[in-house]
Amino acid sequence: MDIACESPTEKGGETGESDETAAAPGGPGVTDTDGITEETDGDADGELKEASAEEGELKSQDISDLTAVEREDSSLLTPAAKKLKIDTKEKKEKKQKVDEDEIQKMQILVSSFSEEQLNRYEMYRRSAFPKAAIKRLIQSITGTSVSQNVVIAMSGISKVFVGEVVEEALDVCEKWGEMPPLQPKHMREAVRRLKSKGQIPNSKHKKIIFF
Amino acid sequence: MADEEEDPTFEEENEEIGGGAEGGQGKRKRLFSKELQCMMYGFGDDQNPYTESVDILEDLVIEFITEMTHKAMSVGRQGRVQVEDTVFLIQKDPRKFARVKDLLTMNEELKRARKAFDEANYGS
Repeated sequence: MDIACESPTEKGGETGESDETAAAPGGPGVTDTDGITEETDGDADGELKEASAEEGELKSQDISDLTAVEREDSSLLTPAAKKLKIDTKEKKEKKQKVDEDEIQKMQILVSSFSEEQLNRYEMYRRSAFPKAAIKRLIQSITGTSVSQNVVIAMSGISKVFVGEVVEEALDVCEKWGEMPPLQPKHMREAVRRLKSKGQIPNSKHKKIIFF
Repeated sequence: MADEEEDPTFEEENEEIGGGAEGGQGKRKRLFSKELQCMMYGFGDDQNPYTESVDILEDLVIEFITEMTHKAMSVGRQGRVQVEDTVFLIQKDPRKFARVKDLLTMNEELKRARKAFDEANYGS
């Protein structure tokens, strides 16, 4: 199902819309585990890139699991607790609706992409760091083995980091009136700016507070 | 531009990034060339980014991961890197925090889905 691959709510780039109170967001339609496994097998490069494509399908399955559990327990609660539960349930449904809207908007947007834009979008979604290399790197630093979740988290964070640097460098490039491809001077200026914003960790420079 | 010369803390970074011949970073084999090129294109750069820019980015990423790993080792359970520590370090940065949460949630769901699928398959 091609639409599933293009439709997703890609939260990586959108700070404003990301939701930090971990309520499981909803998604439209298909809860088809067969479909999911087919799609994951299709991509040799690792599950999580396909994972982001299947957000919509999986989330609705998760939502129905959650609400089922809540319904069972509500008869055992005090009225105050029941009210709270109803409130959070309503909020979750509202959030589900908002996400459905977002997913629909994304679908409309992606369907109106030109070929070059589609290409770029595909690269944006599919590019990722090789898990093996990241794992090797982290293990060479710690000296002990690390769990798979750490590798997943670190790869994801690094990709966001690359995105921040590239976006800042593109800003610099445009400000200086030049064209891509990006040159090292743009990258260095971008890093300098991000450093002053505190986005780039640096534990080598010792800050002298008083003297 | 003159900016590169004026900032003292920037100098040391210049040596790290600029130097192919300065040992350390330069001698290591390039780990992420191909993936970084695709990533840069995805984020808005040209379809064929400059090799030097890709090198700079790779050094940046490796330094970033190294810093994060060191910090994670000193937080929580010492000497080990755990997911909770990674998430703790990232919580100030909303973008990265949201992304990590999404990824980990997704991974859990996928594991569950795959498990359910396998059981269904095995049963039939």
